[in-house]
Amino acid sequence: MKEPSITQGIERCLNTIPAIWVAAISFANFISAEERVDFNRDVRPILTKHCTACHGGVKEAGNISFIYRDKALGMGKSGEYPIVPGKPAESDMLRRLRSSDPDEVMPKPKHGPPLPAAEIALIERWIRQGAEWQDHWSFIKPVNVPNVKISDETWPSVPLDRFVLQRLDQEHLRPSPEASPAEWLRRVTFDLTGLPPTAEDLATDLAAFEKNPSTARAAVLDRLLASPRFGERWAVMWLDLARYSDTYGFEKDPHRDIWPFRDWVIRAFNADLPYDRFTIEQLAGDLLPNATADQRLATAFHRNTQTNTEGGTDDEEFRVAAVIDRTQTTWTTWQATTFGCVQCHSHPYDPIDHDEFYKFTAFFDSTADYDQDDDYPRMKIAADPGSMDEVSALEIQTREHRVRLNDDGKALAESSPDWTVLVPETLTPSHGKLVMAADGTIRSEGTLPVGSVHKVSAPARNFSAIRLDILPDHADPKKWPERGSLVTRFTAQITDASGVVTPVAMKEVFVDRLSEPVEPHPTGNVGGFPKLDGPRWAVFVPEKPIVAESAARLEVSLAQDSKTAGDQATPVRNFTILLSNNPAWTALVNDPQRAATWKSREEMAARLKAIPGTLVPVMVERPARETRVFARGNRLSKEHVVSPGVPKLLANGAPEVGMTRLDMARWIASPENPLTARVMVNRLWGELFGIGIVETAEDFGTSGTLPSHPELLDHLAVRFIDQHRWSIKSMLREMVLSATYRQTHRASKELIEKDPSNRLLARGPRTRLSAEMVRDQALSVAGLLSPKMHGPPVYPPQPAGIWNSIYSGRKWLESTGEDRFRRGVYTYQKRTSGYPGFLTFDAPSRDLCSARRIASNTPLQALVTLNDPAHIEAAQGFAKRMQAHSPDLAAQLSFGIMLCTQQLASPTMLGELMKLHAEATAEYENSPSETSKLADSPAAAALVLTANTILNLDSALTR
Amino acid sequence: MDPNHLARLRHTELQHLTRRHFLSKCSTGLGAMWLASTAGRAWGASTVLKKDPANPLAPAWPQFSPKVKRVIYLHMSGAPSQHELFDYKPELQKLNGKDCPKEFLEGKQFAFIQGVPKMLGPQFDFKQHGQSGAWVSDRLPHFSSVVDDVCFIKSMHTDQFNHAPAQLLLHTGSQNLGAPSIGAWATYGLGSENQNLPGFIVLTSGGNNPDAGKSIWGSGYLPSVFQGVQCRSKGEPVLYLNDPPGISQNLRRRSLDTLDRLNQQISADVGDPETVTRIAQYEMAFRMQMHATDAFDLKQESQATHTLYGTQPGKESFANNCLLARRLAERGVRYIQLFHAGWDSHGASAKEALNQGFSERCREVDQPMTALLKDLKQRGLLEDTLVVWGGEFGRTPMQENRGGSEMAFIGRDHNPGGFTLWMAGGGVKRGVSYGETDPIGYEAVKDKVSAHDLHATMLHLMGFDHEKLTYSSQGVPQRLTNITKPGSQIVKGILS
Repeated sequence: MKEPSITQGIERCLNTIPAIWVAAISFANFISAEERVDFNRDVRPILTKHCTACHGGVKEAGNISFIYRDKALGMGKSGEYPIVPGKPAESDMLRRLRSSDPDEVMPKPKHGPPLPAAEIALIERWIRQGAEWQDHWSFIKPVNVPNVKISDETWPSVPLDRFVLQRLDQEHLRPSPEASPAEWLRRVTFDLTGLPPTAEDLATDLAAFEKNPSTARAAVLDRLLASPRFGERWAVMWLDLARYSDTYGFEKDPHRDIWPFRDWVIRAFNADLPYDRFTIEQLAGDLLPNATADQRLATAFHRNTQTNTEGGTDDEEFRVAAVIDRTQTTWTTWQATTFGCVQCHSHPYDPIDHDEFYKFTAFFDSTADYDQDDDYPRMKIAADPGSMDEVSALEIQTREHRVRLNDDGKALAESSPDWTVLVPETLTPSHGKLVMAADGTIRSEGTLPVGSVHKVSAPARNFSAIRLDILPDHADPKKWPERGSLVTRFTAQITDASGVVTPVAMKEVFVDRLSEPVEPHPTGNVGGFPKLDGPRWAVFVPEKPIVAESAARLEVSLAQDSKTAGDQATPVRNFTILLSNNPAWTALVNDPQRAATWKSREEMAARLKAIPGTLVPVMVERPARETRVFARGNRLSKEHVVSPGVPKLLANGAPEVGMTRLDMARWIASPENPLTARVMVNRLWGELFGIGIVETAEDFGTSGTLPSHPELLDHLAVRFIDQHRWSIKSMLREMVLSATYRQTHRASKELIEKDPSNRLLARGPRTRLSAEMVRDQALSVAGLLSPKMHGPPVYPPQPAGIWNSIYSGRKWLESTGEDRFRRGVYTYQKRTSGYPGFLTFDAPSRDLCSARRIASNTPLQALVTLNDPAHIEAAQGFAKRMQAHSPDLAAQLSFGIMLCTQQLASPTMLGELMKLHAEATAEYENSPSETSKLADSPAAAALVLTANTILNLDSALTR
Repeated sequence: MDPNHLARLRHTELQHLTRRHFLSKCSTGLGAMWLASTAGRAWGASTVLKKDPANPLAPAWPQFSPKVKRVIYLHMSGAPSQHELFDYKPELQKLNGKDCPKEFLEGKQFAFIQGVPKMLGPQFDFKQHGQSGAWVSDRLPHFSSVVDDVCFIKSMHTDQFNHAPAQLLLHTGSQNLGAPSIGAWATYGLGSENQNLPGFIVLTSGGNNPDAGKSIWGSGYLPSVFQGVQCRSKGEPVLYLNDPPGISQNLRRRSLDTLDRLNQQISADVGDPETVTRIAQYEMAFRMQMHATDAFDLKQESQATHTLYGTQPGKESFANNCLLARRLAERGVRYIQLFHAGWDSHGASAKEALNQGFSERCREVDQPMTALLKDLKQRGLLEDTLVVWGGEFGRTPMQENRGGSEMAFIGRDHNPGGFTLWMAGGGVKRGVSYGETDPIGYEAVKDKVSAHDLHATMLHLMGFDHEKLTYSSQGVPQRLTNITKPGSQIVKGILS
């Protein structure tokens, strides 16, 4: 048999392997024999693709993991070393990769095909060169590569262009010519403000371009970046990450007033709040020294988690779900690292271990929110912006006063030596049974519905304070929190020998901590609500000490009238009553200074109440909880306690213990964090170019895609921090001024063939308008768009019957007046039933953090822009504007094309539209009833149809 | 799929666009021949599905020969009581009115029950029916006549005891939001046989959307084209389907012709492949206007059919949706998901009482679901259609005592431990009952089936290995049978 030729061999090879490898192989071949193998660039992708599923963070088959250096280079279970640096012959890995023995070969035949020879050769070369290990690229701090050599020094406008051109040089491509001013104006106006240029601006700008393009560009950018529309456009991007919604989510999906946070984001973008501050304020603004109202409001970012108000739900389950969501959202938004999988096990690809997930959740585990129906805790946003800070200060002071007032008693309760257990003689439960143990602890058995009352009675003694200990069912803290346990009404009375009853009026109550959504009161509301997370106590103090006569009885009654949002009763299952006769109690509650503090607190509360405003859920710290690791991610099987902390991999000197949420926020916003700046500049780039330098904007880890231009990404990240001082506007300005961005998007067949998705950037971006932009453009060209900013969400028309949420009486009450025509960012956002026109254009449901929208292209989108009454209404307005422009049809249509696409209508285009208009006019002339549905004359109705057609042009739906 | 990869593919695929559209319009004849010749090609050795980016819903061949081509899922949201329909337990009758034994309460979490509730015997009479002797209560007189075509699974169980998470788990494999629904997976894997209608259609009745909202037919991390499209039996079947007032079909066609020519020009000028896709999508939208209107026009059906289903055109009802399901199945829609609300029989009101609201729900579904099975069978569609019926969990054998007190109406609380689901159609045994609950119908004890087992089985019937129909998200190859809950099993005992 004749030997096949080499070419035939290669061809056969290529035919039998999946196409996806072809790229990898040609890349591998690209590395010449002398060149040093780069672990991150060349080897890690092979390991991630073929090996880490079994030898990774979840499974470490044979004790081998290719995620951690020591485990890859250490001895395996077999006694062999998979990798022996410098010694390919001794490296067991290579032997197995090349083995033909089905028991030996890697990957095992059932797990995947053998590795291509070229990839094995690459691993071999890497081992021979010393098997140098590197951390994953994104975990290493970015550095700027100076002196990039390029073929054409005249092309770059800004430094970033050098990196783009360098890559094009490598690919033997030339950049495309500069876009026409009109093309750039459409692109940049949409990108910066989410709207098309107005006719007036376009005319002025084009004239300015004729005089001096570079001054013209600068003037355009000054205007666009200063426009209030800027914040409205960029807020949409951020609100997807923040999973902002005007409803709670889940079954009933009720309304949530959190729109002041949406307005905060718009204001922050407009004010160009530097990204480090933007970050810190949203993650921990409440913990900043002397936090302003705005800084507290920013923390509503993490109150956009869902609240479950469905009957029968467990508040702890959904509190924990919110804490986990906050953790994952923080990691996706700021670190583009998939953290969700670490909930159940160590990260399958990246070196982050199971405990580190819980260490991070601990930052969010000490807030006071508890899946309550009223979204407790909330802050008041004054209706009058001028009162915002006053309101916020009042809130903080009233809370501080309350804590201080309680702390005095807390100290006394813990130091008071004479607590003695009250041992009752009679136990009278309204439901079930009460059983007393030898130590005086009383336990309740049986069904305890809402409204249960435990009454106990004992011979009276002298006392100055009564202490109630409420105890959990389980001694083991791993079983906590338990079902809630709250005394809503606490009463004590003395019955003397003759049967005369004297109630003991309590002047004050002190509790172990103020951490509940219910406020303790001298008449009750003490214990654990909605959950009992360990033993709790409360001390009730009468104004004067009680002096007991002989034969008198003390009767204590504990009423339990509360139930959780999920309709669960919160009965007291275990309790002890203790008495103290320490005179310090009486002295404390009668302290005149204390009375003054109470009075001032009440006055502040009254002032606060009188100021009108909206209550918005925000982050509020409570005394810390013990955060425990969940075995396999299951909150019902808790393990050891962990303290708040960040993963070692990225710690960069962050302390191992004692970090607060604010410390964590500062760690994220630090110039030392290798991910924060990269992730944000990549996001900005993706918004402008349609695709990020790292395509997986949500995942910079080993399972994400590699950057198309690593040095460009690092250059931008370093520049964002050093030159632009975290200014988003300044960073964007540089990007849109770049020669790269200013290229025309017109492309030759050859270029499309070589680079269909424009990863090499040899042409300008051309992307579909976002859901909001599609609507806003239609309203804008129609002259209908309202410039009104901020405020509660609005209800533009949507088809009847869209809102059919269960157990919700809320209706879509169509807005009237200008609220009908507000920008898309103000449209009511309901989680279980999004605005249909937006969902069709890929807007997320905002259930969870969403790092990018992938633009689809579907027939349902065509139905929206062709038929949605809102789009027809816009076409009518658009037609009227065209009519008003000129009596001449050709001039009208040219004006329309220019308004909608910023292009000059070509004669053929104009001809087509005029023909459509003529034919439509003829038809409308024969059917006056059809005409009247659109306009007042056949020609005008035909113009509405023509306007609707223009709004559906491909160049109207793209930028 | 990696969208970048999608884009990379796009260019070469576009060359075939015209031919593909022609072919995919007809699911028989030429198109079918061409498809047969490409069968299995999308898979090869890899588990990564390659999609035609310009036409992601084009019919695709599964991993192995499928038993069914389409699914009709009848979800009874709110969770109907197994004790009053299919899971007959004489033992429970004997305990009626007695305090619930302690062992049934320990370690249990209830939505509303507190303390010690009373046991509640079956509220209606049960009889055996058909050759198979299936137990069915007197609430479903029509359905009793088709039990020999049905496979009951009486050992369903879940770990979610609230509606929204339980519905999410049942339809997406995860109790949390963000995972794709099984219908999205099916259309992702198989595309659709009709490009003039959405491939995954959702119809609701009973007044409300399901508790978990639109997420239970969402596409989660899959591309959004695979999400379910909620259609309506009243008004426009697809949102914005109809030409707006004042624009006739003739004028719409004229304007689309203009649009087509102008977009061709733009395409020639700019060279963006997306423009070509957009041109095709506008044509598809136009065809959808005609085809969807036709598909949803119940007036085309004979009086005999209306009598069979009990339908009244123009009304939003489960009956209308069942008949629509058949019409959509005939037209090659891949996954047809019905929801009928109102089964949450706690006994807190007349609407929620077993002897009132529950019985009304039974009347609403009994005749139409029976008609659907009969109709599919007589048209030869049942052999390659899978029909599934069930709720998101079961109900307790105890009477609900909300707040620990007696209630005015008779009802049962949520019970994740056991419930009944039935299936009928291709690849599924007929006239059998699989699995068992304990003697009081509380917990599945024999041949337990979880939502993930159900998913593995449904995917198997559609021609997929549930471990190999994957999509990369959050850095892992995700699948419907949740990777965080390993051990999903195909329910082999019900396969024919």
